[in-house]
Amino acid sequence: MSLTLEVVLHGVAATLRDRIAPALDDSFASEAARLAAMLITISANAVDDAAAVRVWENAALRALFGDAQDMVGPNMAGDLGDRLAQAVHSSDPGLRISELDEENNRLRTLLVELHEAVETMEGEGARAVDARIWQILRETVTRRAPQS
Amino acid sequence: MTDMEPRIAAYLAHRMPAARDIEIDEFRRIQGGSSQETYRLRARWREAGETTNSQTTASQTIERRLILRRAPPSGLVVAERDIEYTVYHALAGRGVPVPAVYYFEADPRWLDRPFFVMDMMPGKPGHFYTSTDPYEGHGEKIARQFWQHLGTLAAIDHRALGLHDLRNGSVTGEYWSRELDWWEAIYRKNEGVIEPAVHAAIRWLRRNPPPPTIKPAIVHGDYRAGNFLFTPDGRISAILDWEMCHIGDPLEDVAWAIDPFWPMTRHLPLEPGLTEWEQASGFAVDRAALDWWRLFSAVKASAIWATAEASFTHGPAREMVVAMSGIRAGHFHRKLILDMMANPTKIARGNGT
Repeated sequence: MSLTLEVVLHGVAATLRDRIAPALDDSFASEAARLAAMLITISANAVDDAAAVRVWENAALRALFGDAQDMVGPNMAGDLGDRLAQAVHSSDPGLRISELDEENNRLRTLLVELHEAVETMEGEGARAVDARIWQILRETVTRRAPQS
Repeated sequence: MTDMEPRIAAYLAHRMPAARDIEIDEFRRIQGGSSQETYRLRARWREAGETTNSQTTASQTIERRLILRRAPPSGLVVAERDIEYTVYHALAGRGVPVPAVYYFEADPRWLDRPFFVMDMMPGKPGHFYTSTDPYEGHGEKIARQFWQHLGTLAAIDHRALGLHDLRNGSVTGEYWSRELDWWEAIYRKNEGVIEPAVHAAIRWLRRNPPPPTIKPAIVHGDYRAGNFLFTPDGRISAILDWEMCHIGDPLEDVAWAIDPFWPMTRHLPLEPGLTEWEQASGFAVDRAALDWWRLFSAVKASAIWATAEASFTHGPAREMVVAMSGIRAGHFHRKLILDMMANPTKIARGNGT
Protein backbone atom coordinates (compact mmCIF):
# COMPACT_ATOMS: atom_id res chain seq x y z
CA MET A 1 0.00 0.00 0.00
CA SER A 2 1.58 3.25 -1.08
CA LEU A 3 -0.87 5.42 0.83
CA THR A 4 1.04 5.20 4.10
CA LEU A 5 0.24 6.89 7.37
CA GLU A 6 2.93 9.47 6.66
CA VAL A 7 1.54 10.31 3.25
CA VAL A 8 -1.99 10.66 4.59
CA LEU A 9 -0.93 12.89 7.47
CA HIS A 10 1.17 15.15 5.24
CA GLY A 11 -1.82 15.46 2.90
CA VAL A 12 -4.15 16.37 5.74
CA ALA A 13 -1.65 18.93 7.05
CA ALA A 14 -1.32 20.56 3.64
CA THR A 15 -5.11 20.81 3.30
CA LEU A 16 -5.43 22.41 6.71
CA ARG A 17 -2.59 24.86 6.07
CA ASP A 18 -3.27 25.83 2.46
CA ARG A 19 -7.04 25.52 2.04
CA ILE A 20 -8.85 25.51 5.34
CA ALA A 21 -6.87 28.03 7.43
CA PRO A 22 -6.94 30.80 4.77
CA ALA A 23 -10.68 30.29 4.25
CA LEU A 24 -11.62 30.87 7.89
CA ASP A 25 -12.79 34.37 8.79
CA ASP A 26 -12.29 33.87 12.50
CA SER A 27 -8.61 34.62 13.21
CA PHE A 28 -8.51 32.40 16.31
CA ALA A 29 -9.90 29.43 14.36
CA SER A 30 -7.57 30.14 11.44
CA GLU A 31 -4.54 30.17 13.73
CA ALA A 32 -5.73 26.94 15.36
CA ALA A 33 -5.97 25.31 11.92
CA ARG A 34 -2.48 26.50 11.03
CA LEU A 35 -1.07 25.14 14.29
CA ALA A 36 -2.96 21.86 13.78
CA ALA A 37 -1.26 21.52 10.40
CA MET A 38 2.14 22.01 12.03
CA LEU A 39 1.35 19.44 14.73
CA ILE A 40 0.24 16.90 12.15
CA THR A 41 3.42 17.51 10.15
CA ILE A 42 5.60 16.97 13.22
CA SER A 43 3.66 13.79 14.03
CA ALA A 44 3.94 12.55 10.44
CA ASN A 45 7.69 13.07 10.47
CA ALA A 46 7.99 11.01 13.67
CA VAL A 47 6.06 8.01 12.39
CA ASP A 48 8.70 6.17 10.40
CA ASP A 49 11.48 5.98 12.99
CA ALA A 50 9.37 6.03 16.16
CA ALA A 51 10.13 2.40 17.02
CA ALA A 52 13.76 2.62 15.90
CA VAL A 53 14.42 5.64 18.13
CA ARG A 54 13.06 3.86 21.19
CA VAL A 55 14.75 0.54 20.50
CA TRP A 56 18.10 2.33 20.08
CA GLU A 57 17.58 4.32 23.26
CA ASN A 58 16.67 1.31 25.38
CA ALA A 59 19.66 -0.65 24.07
CA ALA A 60 21.97 2.31 24.74
CA LEU A 61 20.73 2.61 28.31
CA ARG A 62 21.21 -1.12 28.98
CA ALA A 63 24.76 -0.92 27.59
CA LEU A 64 25.44 2.11 29.77
CA PHE A 65 24.20 0.28 32.86
CA GLY A 66 26.53 -2.60 32.07
CA ASP A 67 29.52 -0.29 31.72
CA ALA A 68 28.55 1.51 34.93
CA GLN A 69 28.54 -1.78 36.80
CA ASP A 70 32.05 -2.50 35.60
CA MET A 71 33.36 0.97 36.40
CA VAL A 72 31.64 1.98 39.65
CA GLY A 73 29.62 -1.08 40.67
CA PRO A 74 31.39 -1.69 43.99
CA ASN A 75 30.64 1.89 45.10
CA MET A 76 26.88 1.65 44.63
CA ALA A 77 24.71 1.79 47.72
CA GLY A 78 21.65 -0.33 48.43
CA ASP A 79 20.25 -2.53 45.70
CA LEU A 80 20.96 -0.15 42.84
CA GLY A 81 23.69 -2.45 41.51
CA ASP A 82 21.31 -5.42 41.47
CA ARG A 83 18.59 -3.47 39.69
CA LEU A 84 21.08 -2.25 37.10
CA ALA A 85 22.21 -5.84 36.53
CA GLN A 86 18.61 -6.90 35.97
CA ALA A 87 18.10 -4.03 33.55
CA VAL A 88 21.23 -4.99 31.58
CA HIS A 89 19.72 -8.40 30.88
CA SER A 90 16.19 -7.15 30.24
CA SER A 91 14.68 -6.75 26.79
CA ASP A 92 11.92 -4.79 25.13
CA PRO A 93 8.56 -6.46 25.77
CA GLY A 94 7.33 -5.78 22.23
CA LEU A 95 7.53 -3.33 19.36
CA ARG A 96 4.37 -1.35 19.98
CA ILE A 97 5.24 2.25 20.78
CA SER A 98 3.29 2.02 24.04
CA GLU A 99 5.34 -1.03 25.10
CA LEU A 100 8.63 0.58 24.14
CA ASP A 101 7.69 3.80 25.92
CA GLU A 102 6.82 1.97 29.12
CA GLU A 103 10.15 0.15 29.08
CA ASN A 104 11.94 3.37 28.15
CA ASN A 105 10.49 5.22 31.12
CA ARG A 106 11.48 2.35 33.42
CA LEU A 107 15.08 2.54 32.17
CA ARG A 108 15.11 6.36 32.34
CA THR A 109 13.96 6.23 35.95
CA LEU A 110 16.86 3.91 36.71
CA LEU A 111 19.20 6.28 34.86
CA VAL A 112 18.13 9.15 37.13
CA GLU A 113 19.08 7.04 40.15
CA LEU A 114 22.40 6.02 38.62
CA HIS A 115 23.20 9.60 37.65
CA GLU A 116 22.50 10.89 41.15
CA ALA A 117 24.67 8.13 42.65
CA VAL A 118 27.55 8.81 40.29
CA GLU A 119 27.49 12.54 41.08
CA THR A 120 28.37 11.77 44.70
CA MET A 121 31.22 9.38 43.88
CA GLU A 122 34.89 10.25 43.61
CA GLY A 123 37.28 8.96 40.98
CA GLU A 124 37.86 8.70 37.28
CA GLY A 125 35.40 5.84 36.84
CA ALA A 126 32.55 7.93 38.20
CA ARG A 127 33.51 10.88 36.02
CA ALA A 128 33.65 8.62 32.96
CA VAL A 129 30.17 7.23 33.66
CA ASP A 130 28.87 10.76 34.23
CA ALA A 131 30.31 11.82 30.86
CA ARG A 132 28.72 8.78 29.16
CA ILE A 133 25.34 9.67 30.66
CA TRP A 134 25.47 13.21 29.29
CA GLN A 135 26.60 11.91 25.91
CA ILE A 136 23.61 9.55 25.69
CA LEU A 137 21.22 12.29 26.84
CA ARG A 138 22.49 14.61 24.12
CA GLU A 139 22.11 11.93 21.48
CA THR A 140 18.64 11.07 22.74
CA VAL A 141 17.46 14.68 22.46
CA THR A 142 18.91 14.92 18.97
CA ARG A 143 17.19 11.73 17.82
CA ARG A 144 13.87 12.84 19.29
CA ALA A 145 13.98 16.38 17.89
CA PRO A 146 10.60 17.32 16.40
CA GLN A 147 10.92 17.76 12.64
CA SER A 148 8.66 20.32 11.04
CA MET B 1 -23.86 35.68 18.06
CA THR B 2 -22.85 33.04 20.60
CA ASP B 3 -24.53 32.32 23.92
CA MET B 4 -21.84 34.40 25.62
CA GLU B 5 -22.95 37.89 24.61
CA PRO B 6 -26.29 37.85 26.47
CA ARG B 7 -24.64 36.25 29.49
CA ILE B 8 -21.98 38.96 29.58
CA ALA B 9 -24.66 41.62 29.20
CA ALA B 10 -26.57 40.09 32.11
CA TYR B 11 -23.42 40.12 34.22
CA LEU B 12 -22.65 43.75 33.43
CA ALA B 13 -26.24 44.67 34.27
CA HIS B 14 -25.76 42.96 37.62
CA ARG B 15 -22.57 44.92 38.21
CA MET B 16 -23.83 48.26 36.87
CA PRO B 17 -27.38 48.78 38.12
CA ALA B 18 -27.52 52.26 36.59
CA ALA B 19 -26.77 50.97 33.09
CA ARG B 20 -29.64 50.50 30.63
CA ASP B 21 -29.90 48.72 27.26
CA ILE B 22 -26.56 46.96 27.56
CA GLU B 23 -25.38 45.59 24.23
CA ILE B 24 -22.41 43.31 23.60
CA ASP B 25 -21.03 42.84 20.10
CA GLU B 26 -17.77 42.27 18.20
CA PHE B 27 -17.21 39.36 20.55
CA ARG B 28 -14.19 37.32 19.41
CA ARG B 29 -11.81 34.91 21.02
CA ILE B 30 -8.20 36.01 20.52
CA GLN B 31 -4.76 34.57 21.16
CA GLY B 32 -3.89 35.87 24.59
CA GLY B 33 -1.71 33.52 26.53
CA SER B 34 -2.19 29.81 26.83
CA SER B 35 -3.34 29.58 30.41
CA GLN B 36 -6.57 31.57 30.13
CA GLU B 37 -9.21 32.03 27.47
CA THR B 38 -9.08 35.60 26.20
CA TYR B 39 -11.94 37.39 24.43
CA ARG B 40 -12.33 40.90 23.07
CA LEU B 41 -15.70 42.61 22.95
CA ARG B 42 -17.47 45.92 22.65
CA ALA B 43 -19.93 46.92 25.36
CA ARG B 44 -22.42 49.77 24.94
CA TRP B 45 -25.00 51.00 27.37
CA ARG B 46 -26.98 54.05 28.35
CA GLU B 47 -26.82 55.79 31.67
CA ALA B 48 -29.46 58.16 32.93
CA GLY B 49 -28.55 61.82 33.01
CA GLU B 50 -27.76 63.55 36.25
CA THR B 51 -30.46 65.40 38.16
CA THR B 52 -29.37 68.74 39.55
CA ASN B 53 -31.68 71.49 40.90
CA SER B 54 -34.75 69.67 39.54
CA GLN B 55 -33.20 69.55 36.06
CA THR B 56 -32.24 66.24 34.45
CA THR B 57 -29.63 66.12 31.72
CA ALA B 58 -30.06 63.78 28.79
CA SER B 59 -28.95 60.18 29.16
CA GLN B 60 -25.64 59.31 27.56
CA THR B 61 -24.43 56.31 25.64
CA ILE B 62 -21.18 54.80 26.84
CA GLU B 63 -18.98 52.53 24.75
CA ARG B 64 -16.08 50.47 26.00
CA ARG B 65 -13.78 48.00 24.28
CA LEU B 66 -13.02 45.33 26.80
CA ILE B 67 -11.05 42.13 27.32
CA LEU B 68 -12.55 39.21 29.20
CA ARG B 69 -10.13 36.64 30.63
CA ARG B 70 -11.74 33.37 31.65
CA ALA B 71 -10.22 30.37 33.37
CA PRO B 72 -9.95 27.44 30.97
CA PRO B 73 -11.05 23.91 31.81
CA SER B 74 -7.32 23.23 32.10
CA GLY B 75 -4.23 25.10 31.05
CA LEU B 76 -0.50 25.45 30.96
CA VAL B 77 -0.06 26.35 34.57
CA VAL B 78 -2.37 25.92 37.51
CA ALA B 79 -2.94 29.41 38.85
CA GLU B 80 -5.40 31.14 41.05
CA ARG B 81 -7.43 33.23 38.68
CA ASP B 82 -7.66 36.31 40.82
CA ILE B 83 -3.89 36.81 40.88
CA GLU B 84 -3.83 38.69 37.61
CA TYR B 85 -6.78 40.87 38.57
CA THR B 86 -5.24 41.64 41.95
CA VAL B 87 -1.88 42.60 40.46
CA TYR B 88 -3.37 44.77 37.71
CA HIS B 89 -5.39 46.56 40.33
CA ALA B 90 -2.40 47.09 42.63
CA LEU B 91 -0.02 48.26 39.89
CA ALA B 92 -2.31 50.92 38.44
CA GLY B 93 -0.43 54.21 38.34
CA ARG B 94 2.86 52.73 39.55
CA GLY B 95 4.91 53.27 36.40
CA VAL B 96 4.40 49.84 34.87
CA PRO B 97 1.82 49.96 32.06
CA VAL B 98 -1.08 47.63 32.81
CA PRO B 99 -4.75 47.64 31.76
CA ALA B 100 -7.41 49.05 34.02
CA VAL B 101 -9.43 46.21 35.52
CA TYR B 102 -13.10 46.36 36.44
CA TYR B 103 -14.56 43.15 37.80
CA PHE B 104 -13.36 39.78 39.01
CA GLU B 105 -16.02 37.10 39.24
CA ALA B 106 -15.55 33.68 40.84
CA ASP B 107 -19.20 32.61 40.77
CA PRO B 108 -19.59 30.05 37.94
CA ARG B 109 -23.27 30.85 37.40
CA TRP B 110 -22.37 33.76 35.14
CA LEU B 111 -19.88 32.28 32.64
CA ASP B 112 -19.30 28.75 33.96
CA ARG B 113 -15.78 29.53 35.17
CA PRO B 114 -14.03 32.42 36.96
CA PHE B 115 -13.23 35.44 34.84
CA PHE B 116 -12.35 39.11 35.01
CA VAL B 117 -12.96 42.12 32.81
CA MET B 118 -10.40 44.75 31.87
CA ASP B 119 -9.78 47.48 29.33
CA MET B 120 -8.59 46.54 25.89
CA MET B 121 -5.30 48.40 25.56
CA PRO B 122 -4.01 49.94 22.33
CA GLY B 123 -1.27 48.16 20.46
CA LYS B 124 -0.41 44.62 19.49
CA PRO B 125 2.09 41.92 20.43
CA GLY B 126 5.18 41.43 18.28
CA HIS B 127 5.22 38.16 16.37
CA PHE B 128 8.79 37.33 17.28
CA TYR B 129 8.58 33.68 16.17
CA THR B 130 7.65 34.49 12.61
CA SER B 131 9.12 37.95 11.96
CA THR B 132 12.68 39.24 11.92
CA ASP B 133 11.30 42.71 12.70
CA PRO B 134 8.45 42.04 15.14
CA TYR B 135 8.44 45.63 16.44
CA GLU B 136 8.31 47.27 13.02
CA GLY B 137 11.52 49.25 13.16
CA HIS B 138 11.30 50.07 16.88
CA GLY B 139 13.22 47.04 18.19
CA GLU B 140 15.85 48.88 20.25
CA LYS B 141 13.39 51.46 21.56
CA ILE B 142 11.00 48.71 22.63
CA ALA B 143 13.80 46.68 24.19
CA ARG B 144 14.96 49.64 26.31
CA GLN B 145 11.42 50.18 27.62
CA PHE B 146 11.14 46.45 28.20
CA TRP B 147 14.10 46.59 30.59
CA GLN B 148 13.08 49.89 32.15
CA HIS B 149 9.61 48.59 33.03
CA LEU B 150 11.07 45.44 34.54
CA GLY B 151 13.49 47.54 36.58
CA THR B 152 10.63 49.76 37.75
CA LEU B 153 8.72 46.66 38.82
CA ALA B 154 11.72 45.38 40.78
CA ALA B 155 11.95 48.66 42.71
CA ILE B 156 8.35 48.54 43.96
CA ASP B 157 7.67 47.52 47.56
CA HIS B 158 5.03 44.80 47.26
CA ARG B 159 3.93 45.23 50.86
CA ALA B 160 3.08 48.88 50.23
CA LEU B 161 0.72 47.70 47.49
CA GLY B 162 -0.93 45.10 49.68
CA LEU B 163 0.44 42.22 47.64
CA HIS B 164 1.60 40.14 50.59
CA ASP B 165 -0.96 37.46 49.66
CA LEU B 166 0.95 36.58 46.53
CA ARG B 167 3.03 33.41 46.72
CA ASN B 168 6.05 34.07 49.01
CA GLY B 169 4.54 37.42 49.91
CA SER B 170 4.76 36.90 53.64
CA VAL B 171 8.19 35.29 53.83
CA THR B 172 11.70 36.63 53.51
CA GLY B 173 14.73 35.08 51.90
CA GLU B 174 15.45 31.70 50.34
CA TYR B 175 13.30 32.58 47.35
CA TRP B 176 15.47 30.44 45.13
CA SER B 177 14.73 27.28 47.10
CA ARG B 178 11.02 28.07 47.42
CA GLU B 179 10.69 28.60 43.68
CA LEU B 180 12.77 25.54 42.90
CA ASP B 181 10.56 23.48 45.22
CA TRP B 182 7.47 24.95 43.56
CA TRP B 183 8.54 24.19 40.00
CA GLU B 184 10.07 20.82 40.79
CA ALA B 185 6.74 19.73 42.31
CA ILE B 186 4.89 20.89 39.18
CA TYR B 187 7.43 19.18 36.98
CA ARG B 188 7.23 15.86 38.82
CA LYS B 189 3.43 15.96 38.85
CA ASN B 190 3.22 16.43 35.08
CA GLU B 191 6.33 14.66 33.81
CA GLY B 192 5.33 12.20 31.11
CA VAL B 193 8.60 10.97 29.67
CA ILE B 194 11.21 10.91 32.43
CA GLU B 195 13.90 13.45 31.54
CA PRO B 196 17.15 12.69 33.40
CA ALA B 197 18.71 15.99 32.24
CA VAL B 198 16.01 18.02 33.97
CA HIS B 199 16.48 15.99 37.17
CA ALA B 200 20.24 16.54 36.97
CA ALA B 201 19.76 20.30 36.49
CA ILE B 202 17.53 20.46 39.56
CA ARG B 203 20.14 18.65 41.64
CA TRP B 204 22.85 21.02 40.38
CA LEU B 205 20.76 24.06 41.27
CA ARG B 206 20.31 22.73 44.82
CA ARG B 207 24.02 21.98 45.24
CA ASN B 208 25.03 25.43 43.96
CA PRO B 209 22.61 27.98 45.45
CA PRO B 210 22.77 31.61 44.29
CA PRO B 211 23.78 34.49 46.56
CA PRO B 212 21.00 36.00 48.70
CA THR B 213 18.54 38.15 46.77
CA ILE B 214 19.22 41.87 46.54
CA LYS B 215 15.61 42.52 47.57
CA PRO B 216 12.22 40.81 47.61
CA ALA B 217 10.46 41.93 44.44
CA ILE B 218 7.24 41.51 42.54
CA VAL B 219 8.16 38.86 40.00
CA HIS B 220 5.94 38.91 36.92
CA GLY B 221 6.70 35.23 36.34
CA ASP B 222 6.37 35.29 32.54
CA TYR B 223 8.05 38.57 31.56
CA ARG B 224 9.13 38.11 27.97
CA ALA B 225 8.63 39.01 24.33
CA GLY B 226 5.06 38.19 23.39
CA ASN B 227 3.59 39.24 26.72
CA PHE B 228 3.40 42.97 26.07
CA LEU B 229 1.70 45.23 23.55
CA PHE B 230 3.36 48.00 21.55
CA THR B 231 1.92 50.90 19.59
CA PRO B 232 2.91 52.06 16.08
CA ASP B 233 5.08 54.86 17.53
CA GLY B 234 7.20 52.31 19.40
CA ARG B 235 5.75 52.55 22.90
CA ILE B 236 5.03 49.60 25.16
CA SER B 237 1.38 50.17 26.03
CA ALA B 238 0.73 47.22 28.36
CA ILE B 239 2.53 44.41 30.15
CA LEU B 240 0.18 41.42 30.17
CA ASP B 241 -0.18 37.82 31.41
CA TRP B 242 0.56 38.14 35.11
CA GLU B 243 -1.02 34.87 36.21
CA MET B 244 2.30 33.47 37.45
CA CYS B 245 3.11 36.59 39.46
CA HIS B 246 4.66 36.07 42.89
CA ILE B 247 7.21 37.56 45.25
CA GLY B 248 10.80 36.53 44.80
CA ASP B 249 14.24 37.38 43.49
CA PRO B 250 14.00 40.01 40.73
CA LEU B 251 16.71 38.17 38.80
CA GLU B 252 14.16 35.43 38.14
CA ASP B 253 12.35 37.76 35.73
CA VAL B 254 15.61 39.05 34.24
CA ALA B 255 16.77 35.51 33.49
CA TRP B 256 13.37 34.52 32.08
CA ALA B 257 13.36 37.60 29.86
CA ILE B 258 16.65 36.60 28.20
CA ASP B 259 15.79 32.95 27.68
CA PRO B 260 16.82 32.30 24.06
CA PHE B 261 13.39 30.89 23.17
CA TRP B 262 12.00 34.45 23.19
CA PRO B 263 15.14 36.47 22.40
CA MET B 264 14.82 40.11 23.43
CA THR B 265 18.59 40.41 23.07
CA ARG B 266 18.07 40.33 19.32
CA HIS B 267 17.03 43.99 19.58
CA LEU B 268 19.40 45.19 22.31
CA PRO B 269 22.46 43.25 23.54
CA LEU B 270 22.36 41.89 27.05
CA GLU B 271 24.73 44.34 28.76
CA PRO B 272 23.03 47.59 27.70
CA GLY B 273 19.72 45.91 28.51
CA LEU B 274 20.93 45.09 32.00
CA THR B 275 22.18 48.67 32.36
CA GLU B 276 18.67 49.94 31.64
CA TRP B 277 17.30 47.55 34.27
CA GLU B 278 19.94 48.62 36.81
CA GLN B 279 19.18 52.31 36.32
CA ALA B 280 15.43 51.79 36.66
CA SER B 281 15.64 49.44 39.64
CA GLY B 282 18.54 51.05 41.47
CA PHE B 283 20.22 47.66 41.93
CA ALA B 284 23.24 46.02 40.32
CA VAL B 285 22.84 42.67 38.60
CA ASP B 286 25.05 39.95 40.06
CA ARG B 287 26.11 38.18 36.85
CA ALA B 288 26.97 34.93 38.64
CA ALA B 289 23.58 34.87 40.34
CA LEU B 290 21.96 35.59 36.98
CA ASP B 291 23.61 32.47 35.56
CA TRP B 292 21.98 30.39 38.30
CA TRP B 293 18.61 31.89 37.43
CA ARG B 294 19.13 31.17 33.75
CA LEU B 295 19.43 27.47 34.42
CA PHE B 296 16.46 27.75 36.78
CA SER B 297 14.50 29.36 33.94
CA ALA B 298 15.16 26.38 31.70
CA VAL B 299 13.93 24.04 34.45
CA LYS B 300 10.87 26.22 35.05
CA ALA B 301 10.15 26.25 31.32
CA SER B 302 10.45 22.46 31.25
CA ALA B 303 7.89 22.26 34.04
CA ILE B 304 5.50 24.50 32.11
CA TRP B 305 5.89 22.47 28.91
CA ALA B 306 5.41 19.22 30.85
CA THR B 307 2.19 20.73 32.19
CA ALA B 308 1.18 21.64 28.65
CA GLU B 309 1.72 18.07 27.46
CA ALA B 310 -0.23 16.67 30.40
CA SER B 311 -3.01 19.20 29.86
CA PHE B 312 -3.40 18.28 26.21
CA THR B 313 -3.09 14.56 26.92
CA HIS B 314 -5.77 14.46 29.57
CA GLY B 315 -8.06 17.23 28.32
CA PRO B 316 -10.71 18.44 28.36
CA ALA B 317 -9.25 21.57 26.72
CA ARG B 318 -7.12 20.61 23.71
CA GLU B 319 -5.77 23.89 22.40
CA MET B 320 -3.34 23.56 19.50
CA VAL B 321 -0.98 26.17 20.95
CA VAL B 322 -0.71 24.13 24.15
CA ALA B 323 0.27 20.97 22.27
CA MET B 324 2.76 22.89 20.13
CA SER B 325 4.33 24.42 23.25
CA GLY B 326 4.69 21.02 24.84
CA ILE B 327 6.40 19.50 21.82
CA ARG B 328 8.51 22.26 20.32
CA ALA B 329 9.33 24.42 23.33
CA GLY B 330 9.79 21.32 25.47
CA HIS B 331 12.44 20.04 23.09
CA PHE B 332 14.11 23.46 22.94
CA HIS B 333 14.55 23.69 26.71
CA ARG B 334 15.71 20.09 27.11
CA LYS B 335 18.44 20.88 24.60
CA LEU B 336 19.21 24.17 26.33
CA ILE B 337 19.62 22.38 29.67
CA LEU B 338 22.04 19.94 28.06
CA ASP B 339 24.05 22.84 26.61
CA MET B 340 24.15 24.63 29.95
CA MET B 341 25.03 21.55 31.94
CA ALA B 342 27.92 20.81 29.59
CA ASN B 343 29.71 23.65 31.33
CA PRO B 344 27.76 24.43 34.49
CA THR B 345 30.36 26.83 35.88
CA LYS B 346 29.79 29.16 32.94
CA ILE B 347 26.13 28.56 32.33
CA ALA B 348 25.36 29.84 28.87
CA ARG B 349 26.25 33.44 29.60
CA GLY B 350 27.28 33.85 26.01
CA ASN B 351 23.84 32.99 24.66
CA GLY B 352 22.31 36.30 25.53
CA THR B 353 25.00 38.63 24.35
